[in-house]
Amino acid sequence: MTERDRTIQELLSDYAGALRDGGVPVFLKSLSRQEGQAIADSGEFWGATEVVRILNGAGFANKAVTADVGLFMSRVDANIASRLKKSTTPSKPRRTCGRKSVTKPQRTEETI
Amino acid sequence: MNRRLRNALKGLTALEDDRRRRAMEPFVRATFDIFIRYLYRYLGNEVECEDVLEDVYADIWENPQRLSHVTSERELLRTVYMYYMRKRLREVYRRMNRHVHLPQIDLENLTAPDLGILETMSQTELEQVLHRALGRLKARERRGIELWMQGMSSRAIANELRTTVPAVKMLKYRTILKLKEMLNEYCGKV
Repeated sequence: MTERDRTIQELLSDYAGALRDGGVPVFLKSLSRQEGQAIADSGEFWGATEVVRILNGAGFANKAVTADVGLFMSRVDANIASRLKKSTTPSKPRRTCGRKSVTKPQRTEETI
Repeated sequence: MNRRLRNALKGLTALEDDRRRRAMEPFVRATFDIFIRYLYRYLGNEVECEDVLEDVYADIWENPQRLSHVTSERELLRTVYMYYMRKRLREVYRRMNRHVHLPQIDLENLTAPDLGILETMSQTELEQVLHRALGRLKARERRGIELWMQGMSSRAIANELRTTVPAVKMLKYRTILKLKEMLNEYCGKV
């Protein structure tokens, strides 16, 4: 928790830094209620985030490109295989946690 | 769209699961670089990018109908973002909304927004436009942004520019708004 609420300039700068360093969740958690409100009300902030994303893409996206696409492909294939398996396996009937309901014997009035 | 990508897309329209599965490999090879660079804009973390992209490709394999009429790379990127990536990006942060003082809609807009004109431009085009825009900035503004893009913290930039951290944050904010204006100007011309 910060001692004082950050201005919108500081918030944008911190968001840009968080996005660059892959720490957006930390930035989001650091927001106070007032800062959240300030972001929600600021048109300039939202306009600027688009440029921040573009700068992030232009400056650092090369880091994300791996040389070994084959390895990644095997992950995708495993994901597809598990989905295929799920779709072909018949779903088991759901078990209920409680006791099985027992059909009660029908009561009939005895004739006197 | 290049021939390799066009051929890769053709295979995805097959009705049989297995044929589509086989067609995924050329598709992944043809699009991995484009998609992961694009995702990086929103996540800034290569491990998370790969996790999200893995699910995106599996979603495409499961429901490839949205891609059946795609004719250009730009359209492909736009369609994949709108119908496959955005949903997954939102899932990354969905669990956080209990701890965040930001309305759900703003959280979604911050993490997986609607596409602006700038965001649909190709990487090469964007880099060219950015380069031109950076060239039009004042020397101090350009230096600030360049240092930030080199990975320096606000404090390190402040030391380099012999100023204070709040002044650097203000400089960055003003420069980003200026860049936005310049890029919008360019989009208006296109």
